[in-house]
Amino acid sequence: MTHGDVFGLLAAGLVVLAVVRLLTAGDLVRRVIALNIASGGVLMVLVLVAAHSEPPDSVLHALALTGIVITVSVTGLALVLIRRIESPEHGEQPHDNEVPPDADHDDGPHDEHIQGAHGGGP
Amino acid sequence: MSEAAGVFDVVMVLGLLAVAAVALFHPRRLTAAAMFLVFGVLLAVVWAWLGAPDVAIAEAVLGAGVTGVLVMNAVTGNPMTAEETDRGRGRVTVRGYMLVAGILAAAVAVGLIGVLWDLAPATGTGTLVDRNVADSGVSHPVTAVLLNFRNYDTLLEIAVLAAAAVGALALRPPGTRMPQLRHDSGPLGAMVRLVVPVLALVLGWLLVAGSTRPGGAFQAGALLAGALLMLYLAGIGPTRRLQRWTGPVLLLGLAVFLALAAGTAAIGGGWLVLDADWAGPVIVALEAVLMISIGTTLAVLLMTMDQINSAARGLPGVPAWYSAERSGAGAALQDGENDAR
Amino acid sequence: MGVLLPMLVLGPLGGAVLLALLPARIRPWLTVGLAAALGAAVVVLVGVVAVGGVVHYQVAGWAPPLGIELLVDPFSAAMLAMTAGVSLPVLIYATGTELVRGHEAFWPLVMMLWSGLNAVYVTADLFNAYVALELMGLSAVALVILGGSSAWRAGLRYLFIAVLGSLLYLLGVALIYGQTGTLDMVGAGEVLTSGTYAFTALVMITAGMALKTALFPMHTWLPAAHAAAPSAVSPLLSALVIKASLYLLIRIWFTVFGGAAPTGLPTALGVLGCAAVVWGNVVALRQDRLKAVVSYSTVAQVGYFFLLFAYLAPALDAPAGSTQEQVALAAWTGVLVLVFSHALAKAAMFMAAGVLAIAHRSDNLNDQVGAVNRMPGTVLAFAAAGVVLAGLPPTMGFMGKWQLLQASMVGGQWWWLAVLLGGGLLTLGYTARVVRATFDRPGHAGRDQPRVVPVRMPAMSLMLTVTAVVLGFLTLPVAQFLEPVLPAGALP
Repeated sequence: MTHGDVFGLLAAGLVVLAVVRLLTAGDLVRRVIALNIASGGVLMVLVLVAAHSEPPDSVLHALALTGIVITVSVTGLALVLIRRIESPEHGEQPHDNEVPPDADHDDGPHDEHIQGAHGGGP
Repeated sequence: MSEAAGVFDVVMVLGLLAVAAVALFHPRRLTAAAMFLVFGVLLAVVWAWLGAPDVAIAEAVLGAGVTGVLVMNAVTGNPMTAEETDRGRGRVTVRGYMLVAGILAAAVAVGLIGVLWDLAPATGTGTLVDRNVADSGVSHPVTAVLLNFRNYDTLLEIAVLAAAAVGALALRPPGTRMPQLRHDSGPLGAMVRLVVPVLALVLGWLLVAGSTRPGGAFQAGALLAGALLMLYLAGIGPTRRLQRWTGPVLLLGLAVFLALAAGTAAIGGGWLVLDADWAGPVIVALEAVLMISIGTTLAVLLMTMDQINSAARGLPGVPAWYSAERSGAGAALQDGENDAR
Repeated sequence: MGVLLPMLVLGPLGGAVLLALLPARIRPWLTVGLAAALGAAVVVLVGVVAVGGVVHYQVAGWAPPLGIELLVDPFSAAMLAMTAGVSLPVLIYATGTELVRGHEAFWPLVMMLWSGLNAVYVTADLFNAYVALELMGLSAVALVILGGSSAWRAGLRYLFIAVLGSLLYLLGVALIYGQTGTLDMVGAGEVLTSGTYAFTALVMITAGMALKTALFPMHTWLPAAHAAAPSAVSPLLSALVIKASLYLLIRIWFTVFGGAAPTGLPTALGVLGCAAVVWGNVVALRQDRLKAVVSYSTVAQVGYFFLLFAYLAPALDAPAGSTQEQVALAAWTGVLVLVFSHALAKAAMFMAAGVLAIAHRSDNLNDQVGAVNRMPGTVLAFAAAGVVLAGLPPTMGFMGKWQLLQASMVGGQWWWLAVLLGGGLLTLGYTARVVRATFDRPGHAGRDQPRVVPVRMPAMSLMLTVTAVVLGFLTLPVAQFLEPVLPAGALP
């Protein structure tokens, strides 16, 4: 096995594990972690392709950097949103939507899928 | 790339997989968050090992550093859920999705591995970069790509960060103000007072170094965020009084970048065309502004998380211990937090 | 003329920065002004493309593969026009009341969304498309969550799905670069050779984009997000945002891959598309909330769009003048006309639904009683939009479906026919159900005085519906405009 193969396996493993977890975890912060790990795996593929050239291809490194920044942006928004979702506010914010708030947090319209406690599917 | 895998490679791979598995599957949130931090650090080492120093520094400060801090804050800042184990969803749903996901994932894995095995080296754009770096204004290829050859991508990326900031700031509960922690006169305050000036020097160097070696606006920006957060946590500095300036400073980077684009379009050679004569200084100046925006945006994101907490405090039904959030941070919050502006 | 292209992306971004810094009072009309200016620029561009063919621009002065090239051909121009044509009325609608916006951050975010959409349509670079998708996606999510606490979870789910789709896309792009050494779409298309390697990339990209366009069975995030979003945001999401990922997928399939695909994939997409049409329409019939009906309608309509791959891929190498080429042309024109008519009609439907929901203080069908008498224009707009979506003559929807019907008959694929016709019937079904709910019911107690809604809001809805109906007569020029872009033909 060469150097590159081993890390290729790692990249595949990370992406696969993280994507599965992204879709199936119930805990929201866990899904954010999964997103970051999946992103790490994808960027690893980029860096591995870059490493095929000697010296390593700088365009792909630049792309990986861009990818990291975008992932941080997404993570930031997601975590602030999660904080808002999980925050125990009894003085509910005045509802900005013209639709009156439902009695419970509903994930949206009824679908034929069997719904777990937090709704199903992607 | 074609040399045989060594012991270090195997150890790194197994270690990273193990850490990732714990971060993904361990039931306790706090453990997962801590392991995620470790994952980030190990990943940075892998980038360096694979010959990507820029990515390594960025991963260390942005991926492990800033993201790690945000995730940790998410898990510990809200005591109602810090101990919450991962409840998962309805059993049938989970098993069904795990089966489908497992099959698809296996297919992807097989495809990926097969593909990477056969990867033939191609003459990529890298050689083109090396040939043209001299005309770009900087001598480090990655910086040249980010701030000259493909600066349009970087502009859009800054816009992505700005969109995230605007979205996050819109989530602030009305009637709350930016949190201001009480001044810490103990070891935390002392440490921060020692470390922040050094950090300022380092990030200044990292910013300018980006022209000739790995470094640049993003890495320096993350360090700036770290410095700002240290000041915030130790209660040093007038965080609240600066609230009025949050919007402008966050958008400053995007605004300046757009102004540069408009300027080059109007009187220069075209949108974002940087002439070799003046590209160098312009790039450094642009990076400095971007650094400020990036650093403040990342710091503000964390402070917004705290600001959201502050709205819940003192409300009927919220348990008293909720106010004593993070090692005295709750009690340390100044009075009048919830006054309408 | 190429100088105009970056303006379409950077202009709205500059507008967004301004809007974010200015007080809330000024924002509505400043945005509408900016939108009008942007619309004018798009009209000019479409004119240039209609005459001259293709417009290029190399940003930062470096030619690909080193730099990023922007490229607008008739297909991109049409998408840009569709975006502007729907955004401007929706923005005017949004000035009506804060209730449909959710928060004053609506205005800068909407400009960022528009910038992201335009960025996807003008780019000819694979990675630039990724960044553009993320800008568009993040803005869209931020807009959804303005809808208040009921929108937070749906918005977060949307965020996870959107980023997952983009990551799969990026994976595919990394593999394409590995084989071709370039990120330029046209350049990569010239060098790419078919094989397991390339097809793995294609499958990843297709999966990612299908996720983002909410193709059955990966669609559940869409009804949740589109229904919970503020009423001025839902039209933008259904009419515009999902089209961008579809556009990119079409570009990748035909510009980069030249229509070559692993056997079975185009048919699989077609099958999933049919399933989407049936499933979406049936579930829409069972919803009790206005916006849920309209959201599931989107799920169904997306199914029609994916039929494109099933029709087109097998017919691409056909010699000129053969029946196969006719099938390809008819399918191409048909799907694109459906995309445009859906944009107009769906935006009109969501806007009308929003007006009804505000007026009756409720989204529920049972609470809309008597609306047809009090606000006939709004109900008409909704009903007519449903007719367009169902594909009745002489609307634009009909012209699109007619092309697809012809393609099916000439190509001998009779099962698509059943889906096309059946889908239309079901669409009429849920439209009729909604309209019936607005009729007066004897014995129904008089409601509180409904809220007054500024007249420009239903007016915008009606205007878009009428456009969708009237444009049915103009389909021929539209088809001629789009023909050069038929993938088998003259893409540069």
